[in-house]
Amino acid sequence: MLDIQKKLKEIGPFVPEEDDDLLVCRCEEVTKGEIRKALHQGITTVEELRRFLRCGMGLCQGQTCGMITRRIVAKELKIPMGAIEPATARVPMRPIEMEIAGNEKK
Amino acid sequence: MKIEHKELIVVGAGPAGLSAAIEAAKSGVKAIVFDENSKPGGQLFKQIHKFFGSKEHKAKIRGFKIGQDLLQEAEKLGVEVVLNATVVGLYPEKEIIVKIGGEVIHYKADAVLIATGASENMVNFRGWTLPGVIGAGAAQTMMNLHHIKPGNRVFMLGTGNVGLVVSSQLLQAGCEVVALADAAPKIGGYGVHASKVARTGVPFYLSHTIKEVEGEDHVTGVTIAQVDEHFQFIPGTEKHFAVDTICVAVGLSPMAQLLKMDGIVMDDTKGRTVPKCDRTGATSIPGIYAAGDVAGIEEASSAMIEGRMSGSAIAAYLGYLSSDSSEHRVDTLENSLSSLRQGMFAPENRGKKIETTEEGIAISQNLLKAGFVTDDEITRFPGFRKEMKVHPVLECTQNIPCNPCQSACAKGCISIGEHMTSLPISVDGSTCVNCGMCVASCSGQAIFLVAEETRAGFGEVTIPYEFLPLPAEGDGGFALGRDGKKLCETTITRVRTSKAYDGTALVTMEVPTEYIDKARFYKKIG
Repeated sequence: MLDIQKKLKEIGPFVPEEDDDLLVCRCEEVTKGEIRKALHQGITTVEELRRFLRCGMGLCQGQTCGMITRRIVAKELKIPMGAIEPATARVPMRPIEMEIAGNEKK
Repeated sequence: MKIEHKELIVVGAGPAGLSAAIEAAKSGVKAIVFDENSKPGGQLFKQIHKFFGSKEHKAKIRGFKIGQDLLQEAEKLGVEVVLNATVVGLYPEKEIIVKIGGEVIHYKADAVLIATGASENMVNFRGWTLPGVIGAGAAQTMMNLHHIKPGNRVFMLGTGNVGLVVSSQLLQAGCEVVALADAAPKIGGYGVHASKVARTGVPFYLSHTIKEVEGEDHVTGVTIAQVDEHFQFIPGTEKHFAVDTICVAVGLSPMAQLLKMDGIVMDDTKGRTVPKCDRTGATSIPGIYAAGDVAGIEEASSAMIEGRMSGSAIAAYLGYLSSDSSEHRVDTLENSLSSLRQGMFAPENRGKKIETTEEGIAISQNLLKAGFVTDDEITRFPGFRKEMKVHPVLECTQNIPCNPCQSACAKGCISIGEHMTSLPISVDGSTCVNCGMCVASCSGQAIFLVAEETRAGFGEVTIPYEFLPLPAEGDGGFALGRDGKKLCETTITRVRTSKAYDGTALVTMEVPTEYIDKARFYKKIG
C-alpha cells in the first residue's frame, strides 16, 4: 500500500501538459488529463480509476487502453510499471447482452 | 438448467489450442475446443508467408496450410471444434460459461486449457481514434481472411516481425506502403523480412514515432518526428506523409483474463500479465493449463509445440497416459522448442546489443537502420560467393533458427551444418543445376541465383517474386538494388512457377555484369 499523503507530496501539484486532452479510453471517452488529475487527488490504482472515471469499463474492457493507463499511472506516481496492479478480471470476459446472459440453456 | 460435462475444454482454436487438443486426443482424451471467431485457426489463417525453422517445425510451409493440416488432424481424432462460441467466464472448480448463439451454456471440465492468445497494443498519439488508424493484425485480418484492401497509402508504426510481415503483405495486396517507423533505434524483426520491404523502395525511419495523425473524419496524413534516447521528440525533425491508413504494430499483450478471474497465480513482467506455469503450461490450479501467447508472447511455431506439451501433460493428468510416457514426450518436445529459441532473436537476447554473428562476422548496421545490407557489407557473409556460372547467393546475415535451404539443395551447394542458427554457406566448388528449389524454400526470400556472365557483358539474377501479376518473358523494366533504388534497365529472360515452389515465382532478369551483385528486385516500367 502506498502512503497517499507522502506520495502526493512527492509528486507535487498537478501541472497541465500540452496533450492532456488526448483520449486514453475511447470507449468511455476519458482523457489523459482527467486520469492525471485523478492521480493528483489521491487515486493510486487502476481499479480506483475505473470506478472513478470509468476508463477501461467500456466495450473493450480496457483491452486497448489498459497498458496506456498503467504507463500514465507509473509515470505520474513515479513507480515502476510492474508495481501497478492491472485491473481485476471479472465475468463476463466479453460484452454480453443481458438478455443472453439471463438465457441459460435448459 | 443443466451442466454439460467434458473431459477437456480448450479455449481458443489457434495453433496452441488445436495442437493441445490433438495431442491429448491421440491418447484418447475427449476434447472440445471453443473459439469466439467464425473461423478457426487463430492467427494461422492470416499467415500467408512461409514459416521459419526446420522440418519438424513445419518450416517453409505457409501458415494457412499449417492451419488446414491442424484442423484436419483434429477432425480425424474426433476433436470437437465449436465456433462463434464465446467463453465469458471461468469459475472455480472448472466451471465454464459459454455464449453460443442466443444462450449461455454451463460446462464443467476435468481439465481446462486456456489458449486465448494475445491482443494488439495501442499508442495514443494525437488523432489515434480517427477511422483509418488500425492495428497491423487488423490489416492482416482484412486482407488475408476477408480479402479487403485496408487502404491505398499506408504508414506502418513498428518494425518488429509483425510490422515487417504485414508491410510486405500490404505491398502484395497492392497498397503503397509509404514508410515504416519505430521509436527504437534499430529494426526489431528479422533482417530478411525488412529486406523484402526495403528492396521495393520503402524507407525506414528508426528513432522516429508518430507525432500527429490528421484528418477530419478519416486519416489524411501523418507527421512523424525523431525521438532522443528518452523517447522525447526532437524539434525540427518532423516529416510529413499523405496517407489514408496508419497501421500500428507495437507489440502484443496476452489475453489472460480468464485465468486471472479464476484466481490463478499470475506473473507480471514488464507490464505483461501471464500465468505462472511449469514447462507444460500447468498453472497454480491442478488441471488448468495455459499455452501459446497467453502464457508469454512468442510466435505460432512455438505455440504449436507448447500446445503439444500441454496436451501430453493433460493426457497424463486425466490418466490416459502414464506420467513416464508423458514426461518422455514432453522432453522431446522441449528440445524442439528450445531449438526455436536460439540465435540472435532468442528470448534471452531481447534488448541486447549484438555486434557480431556466431561466426564472428560484424553485423550489418545498415540492415538494422535501413532494412537492407549494403553492397559493401554483403561480401563479408558466407552466403556470398562469386562465380561465372550460376550459383546461389544467400543473403541471410543474422543467426536465426532456420535451415530449409540446406536440404532444398540436392547438390550440396548450401551448407548450414548442425546448428540451425548458423549462417548458410554458399559452398565453393559445388555445382548448381539452377533448379531454383533453394530460392523457393527460403522463408525470408533471401536467396538469389546469380550467373555473372551469360553473354558478353551481361549476366542473370533470379529473384523470388510473390507479387501479381507476374512479369512475362521479354518484359522490360528496371532492376532495383537492395535499397529499392533503380540501378539499370533490364529484360526478363525467364519466369518459373511450379507446385514445388509453393506460390513463390522465380523471375530471372538480365543485367549488365557490373550490376550482378547489386540487382535484387524488379520493377515493371509504368
